Amino acid sequence: MTADTNKFVIPIGPQHPALKEPANFEFWVDGEIVTGASVRLGYVHRGIEKGAEARTWTQNLYLMERICGICSHVHATAYTLGVEKLAGVEVPPRANAIRQLMAELERIHSHMLWLGVAAHEGGFDTLFMYSWRDRETVMDLLEKISGNKVHYSANLLGGVKFDITPELAAEVHKGLDFLEERNRFYLKVVTTDETFIGRTRDIGTMTTEKAEFLGAIGPTARASGVARDIRVDAPYLTYDQFPVKVMTHTSGDLHGRFIVRIHETFESIRVIREILDHIPQGDLTTRVPRRIPAGEAVSRVEAPRGELLYFIASNGSEKPERVKVRTPSLCNWSTVLSLAIGLKLADMPMLLSGIDPCFSCNDRSIRLKRGQQDPQVWSWEKLRQYGIEYYR
Amino acid sequence: MASTIGALGAAEAVLKPFATAINRPQPERLEVNIHPDNLLAAVRALVDESWGYLSAIVGLDRPAQLAAEGMSQPESAIDVLYLFCSGAAVVTLRITLSYSQAVIPTISGIAPTAMLYEWELREMFGVEVVGLRVTGHLILADDWPAGVYPLRKSFTGFNQPVAGAEGA
Repeated sequence: MTADTNKFVIPIGPQHPALKEPANFEFWVDGEIVTGASVRLGYVHRGIEKGAEARTWTQNLYLMERICGICSHVHATAYTLGVEKLAGVEVPPRANAIRQLMAELERIHSHMLWLGVAAHEGGFDTLFMYSWRDRETVMDLLEKISGNKVHYSANLLGGVKFDITPELAAEVHKGLDFLEERNRFYLKVVTTDETFIGRTRDIGTMTTEKAEFLGAIGPTARASGVARDIRVDAPYLTYDQFPVKVMTHTSGDLHGRFIVRIHETFESIRVIREILDHIPQGDLTTRVPRRIPAGEAVSRVEAPRGELLYFIASNGSEKPERVKVRTPSLCNWSTVLSLAIGLKLADMPMLLSGIDPCFSCNDRSIRLKRGQQDPQVWSWEKLRQYGIEYYR
Repeated sequence: MASTIGALGAAEAVLKPFATAINRPQPERLEVNIHPDNLLAAVRALVDESWGYLSAIVGLDRPAQLAAEGMSQPESAIDVLYLFCSGAAVVTLRITLSYSQAVIPTISGIAPTAMLYEWELREMFGVEVVGLRVTGHLILADDWPAGVYPLRKSFTGFNQPVAGAEGA
């Protein structure tokens, strides 16, 4: 986007203090007050949509999981749901319930991660350290179920890899009790701490109309009273059997975005308990053909950051014709650019983190300089050999 | 499901005057093929009805297969799909553009959220979006060569160093 050249422009990023991920913002200011804003994305664009066209349906499952390190499961879920729709495959209910359970555990970990990041941007590092310490509990639960803390890789085309045994269920229950208690404490902190309220209340306020006009989604929109949640509007997996309530808030400011996300965490805890207590019996997988019948499918899921949409086209072969991913972070940028105007420059870090931006979500390609002599650029063979030598 | 069917029915009634073909690929989806000249009117009709929201714009490259000897070579095309969602209902406006006429008007005047999606479409598929006020790259590198559209099927990577590209 082009900036107004008559104004004083403050460039922030791609490496900058507000976020640990790369994006470039230009805020043009009049004294302390922001009068305009622009964004440049793409610093971690990896070309995943293009890469998907060269990989088989199964290989792509692993690629899609790697779009995001925070919400890996929800990407794989959206992808598998689309492919299963094209293949006309009915996944066993137990597998779908486990997918929902993993998705809600993931939402807890994502929201707690965000709570820490946002607290840090607000200068409240104690809350950041507390919430990240406690987030380990949910990460450990994910690890106990799947063997991994980040890329749990629970999905298969046609089902899931892991079962929830009664022993695991008991451990998850125990972890949830702790997380619930901690999140009650966080809710108390963000609603009573004077300094924190000073940094969040009436900052970046977005009315319901504005949120709809700007196309805000997820918790960012729900904090402005937009009751939109794919889990409720278009139930997938077992969300009709284990429904969740849409959490909204009417304040529309940063404070509301904290409250909505913490309430959503409680709701996730509640629904996980329900799944654990009433999980359907049955198989974990069903067969999916290697070649997927030609056609096009749209699958939509509610990622921690909002609606995630996959458009998948098949030409009847072993590889997809096209996989289009529309991630939630992309939708919320326009809210930041619009809300920034009139605020103080010092509010920008919190405003930016308020939408819980995820850059691997946005970008999906990486740029490598192809210098032949550059020792920093290794061939696959060299990297593989290095790995073998290293662990010998 | 009843509300989804109702929503799709309402969208179909609104879009019928602009449609060249209508089909229902899945129970929750309505797909309407429209001529590029009718795009703005069709989007305007949906927006005026407050029918859902624009959820995504998808580009789909459809390069023509090599024609058999003696047959005329068909032209390659790009499909542009506008996905609107309301509850569980998804309406797709499908526009087919030939490579030589890969031009569409921007809908960002009617649906402001379209701006980023149109920008991405222009960058990745080389579809000219008339009236889109942004310039430069959204996600590709600053030194990405002009006229190279990575999501077209003809792009298979840079085998040769690109002249003028930094670090090549």
